[in-house]
Amino acid sequence: MRRSQILFLIISSFLLASCAVKTVNGFEQKEPVVKSYTVPYFSDTKTDYIYKAHISIYGKDFGGIFIAKKMNDTLYRTAFTTEFGNKLFDFEITDNSFKVNYILEELDRKIIVNTLKRDFMLLLKRNYEVEQEYVNTESTVYKCAAGKRSNYLFFDKATGRLSKLVNATKQKEKILISYTAESDILASKIVIDHKSINLKIELNYLQ
Amino acid sequence: MKNSVFYVFFLLVTALTATAQEQKMSAAEITSFKNAVNATAKNTKTLTTDFVQYKHMDFLSKDIETSGKMSFKSPGMLLWQYTKPYQYSVVFKNNKIAINDAGKKSAMDMGSSKMFNKLNKLIVGSVNGDMFDENEFTISFFKTPDYNITKLMPKDATLKKYIKQMELYFDKKGNMVSQVKMTEPSNDYTTIVFKNKVTNAQIADSVFNN
Repeated sequence: MRRSQILFLIISSFLLASCAVKTVNGFEQKEPVVKSYTVPYFSDTKTDYIYKAHISIYGKDFGGIFIAKKMNDTLYRTAFTTEFGNKLFDFEITDNSFKVNYILEELDRKIIVNTLKRDFMLLLKRNYEVEQEYVNTESTVYKCAAGKRSNYLFFDKATGRLSKLVNATKQKEKILISYTAESDILASKIVIDHKSINLKIELNYLQ
Repeated sequence: MKNSVFYVFFLLVTALTATAQEQKMSAAEITSFKNAVNATAKNTKTLTTDFVQYKHMDFLSKDIETSGKMSFKSPGMLLWQYTKPYQYSVVFKNNKIAINDAGKKSAMDMGSSKMFNKLNKLIVGSVNGDMFDENEFTISFFKTPDYNITKLMPKDATLKKYIKQMELYFDKKGNMVSQVKMTEPSNDYTTIVFKNKVTNAQIADSVFNN
């Protein structure tokens, strides 16, 4: 092999390695103990999950009320209103479908709808097939396939609760959801943080 | 026996329904009602009131309840302040809107937004009742033993996208709005009930800083 080819190989493998997603860097990989996992948050059909929301997007701040309700085994209804009660959007979501019941005309742009769709489908996704497991001293992580991306579910070893979800491509983390749980089934604070756009959604439980 | 119990129950229900039923106002009643409300609105220099807001959405098991205080000073200063279950306040003043969301402050120019202008007019109008603008709304008038009710349907295409109908319940005793029901095009609605109204007490301008 010519020297330039060797050099090219070294550089490209270095680049590839340095671009690989860092989510589970330093973790030890294990055979997964479980094959599947069901998220316990938002799981009670009798509860109206009402959150005060703060959205900050490229330096602008908005407030509102975020509502999620589990309608049956597979279907969620989710809506967002202003503090005054005006509805901004209303979606129906399952693990693999998304329907807009209503969206305010001003928000009805492809880029906005697609971002909301991705965020709330991720937030309300129930069932995961576990592909790989990683551990370190603080967390256990399940890696689950999500189309071209992967979802990494972090569990706090001390409580056993889902504390973080990272949606990532092979190279980059895209969306990070962190949960502060009040109990095994209720997340009292949720932060959805985008890594590729300047968008952060913070939800604080109200009822 | 069973039949007579049922009969009494039936009578009671019918009587209750009949008393709660809305009747259309006559033309003369409409004129005198409008005059009374306009006179009250004109004489209302300041107003403070508590409110409870109920957001109804069909898919929820119960309405979302929020509450707070409202202060109004003529001609156009308005503070709308939620205190439960969160802190959020909005001041409408000098064509500007100032929002304080639990300490996070932001401001907007109302002049730049036709929608906010209309919103401001609606809120101030629904507080002092000065909103019988036939150019903006198709208005109909009803009465029950306790309330005079105005139903307003927006004519403006922009407003129509947000509001299908506003219903204002005027307390017959004071000719002031005691309840507002705002129905969205989807038929979900928001009800705001005003309580502990105080009119024409001194309110410092500094109250309307956010």
